[in-house]
Amino acid sequence: MSAADVAAPVRPGRAGRPAPVPPARPAGRWKAAAGWAAVLAVTALTLAPGIGVEVDLGAIARNWRNGADKIVALLQPDWSFFPRTVGPLLETLQMAVVATAVAGIVSLPLSLWAARTTNPHRLLRGAVRGVLNVVRAVPDLLYAAVLVAMVGVGALPGILALVLFDVGIVVKLVSEQLEAADTGALEAARAAGGTQLQVNRSVAVPDMLPGFWNQLLYVLELNVRASSVLGLVGAGGMGLLIDAVRSFYRYDQLSLIILEILVVVLVLEAVSSAARRRLL
Amino acid sequence: MSVGLRAAQGTATSDDVAVPAPWPVRMRDVVVRYPNGVTALDGVSLDLEPGEMVAVVGLSGSGKSSMIRTLNGLVPVTSGTVEVGGHDVTAARGRALRALRGEVGMIFQSFNLAGRATVLQNVLVGRVAHAPTWRTLLGAHTAQDRAVAYEALDRVGMLDRAWHRASHLSGGQQQRVAIARALAQQPRAVLADEPVASLDPPTAHGVMADLRRVNRELGITVVVNLHLLDLAREYGTRLVGLRAGRVVYDGPAADASDRVFEDIYGRSIRPDDVLGS
Repeated sequence: MSAADVAAPVRPGRAGRPAPVPPARPAGRWKAAAGWAAVLAVTALTLAPGIGVEVDLGAIARNWRNGADKIVALLQPDWSFFPRTVGPLLETLQMAVVATAVAGIVSLPLSLWAARTTNPHRLLRGAVRGVLNVVRAVPDLLYAAVLVAMVGVGALPGILALVLFDVGIVVKLVSEQLEAADTGALEAARAAGGTQLQVNRSVAVPDMLPGFWNQLLYVLELNVRASSVLGLVGAGGMGLLIDAVRSFYRYDQLSLIILEILVVVLVLEAVSSAARRRLL
Repeated sequence: MSVGLRAAQGTATSDDVAVPAPWPVRMRDVVVRYPNGVTALDGVSLDLEPGEMVAVVGLSGSGKSSMIRTLNGLVPVTSGTVEVGGHDVTAARGRALRALRGEVGMIFQSFNLAGRATVLQNVLVGRVAHAPTWRTLLGAHTAQDRAVAYEALDRVGMLDRAWHRASHLSGGQQQRVAIARALAQQPRAVLADEPVASLDPPTAHGVMADLRRVNRELGITVVVNLHLLDLAREYGTRLVGLRAGRVVYDGPAADASDRVFEDIYGRSIRPDDVLGS
């Protein structure tokens, strides 16, 4: 049986007609190739000696004994260290929860002000967005370092740093979600004579809440991770302890801390994904 | 002007507020030109009497959607004047415009409910113009506002769904909730922009019948955009035909012949111009 015999019953009425030909492919295929070439060139340049970051893979081989020692220590957690970690671990969790709550309260109105659909005032919207772009551009560890200098060592600068970091993320994601949402209900509330505040509260807020909770759960996870290192600059939580054991080369104790953070993050992830399923 | 508006309903009590005096509509040489250069309305003049049920008919792009939106100021007019209940919509801004919109209910093709909110919350949106902002912000609706919302839901047979999420309802039920939202405004006029275009035929007739009851039992002026000639003929008391932004027909709906519709559409009648039942 030839190929033509097979094709014939599948395409009745096609016999005798020329095979279909799509229109000419649009030009510009070179763009993809050029893109790849650019990525390769940039990578090569950054690795090049003299101008780049000078990656020396040989260092791994030369210092292998150093690395192996640390790994051996990390593989033997010092369980007796556990009682001393409980306090800092709880402080880390408290910082994360408090920061998430404060960030939630601050972000809800800011998200509505940052979205085109819920804030028609171009200037106010631009101002909110501009400030938040600046807020988002600064890394959380830098906030913590500056805030420790401003308000002193402890959990407070850590919480403030996390709040700034969270607000930047939540407002961006939630305001984008608002702008992507259908505007029909907003138009209806406007047609009923509502002020922008009334429109936002009665229609936009109920529809945005599930997504909003979702983003808050996400930053809660980020906060647990971030707050465990903020202590490196004196901003409370696990970080202070990490800094201490690291400077005494107690990699066995560091190992226990890493395990604890891992467990907390895994538990939190399980809880928040269960909460998400209920939300959405 | 908002003062006059408030004064007009200031004497209303909970007894007679459910049947407010319906409003007339007066349009004079209304032109709507969008920033992209499209002329949606090209010199429309119309007088709609209080308590009429006006079917506005035209193909999509004929300007009927723009026309209905000029009546509550959702679409600003380029020139001409629009008066609703004696109030100049074209000049109204801010508080005055909101007070005016509060007296005019609107129903949309895609229902435009807040899907995640409950049916009751959606109907209470109809009370925003009658409530201080702080009450809306706190969700602290007055007992009277709630009573009005229940009454509106009961009128469209959706009271038992008050606590359901709006998005969990069928299309016809959602449009009934949207009608209840408009009724909760205790409106002087109701604007309906293609209210049944997203519904199947039996449901469409049910929703149109609801609108007719709003018009007949409450005496509210109803302006309804339609593109199906049998619905326009059956439910309208008056027919206004729009083509390319101009009024090409204005007369009683019942005796508008197919010839009239062919005139409005500018082409012969097709099977899909009729809903059937």
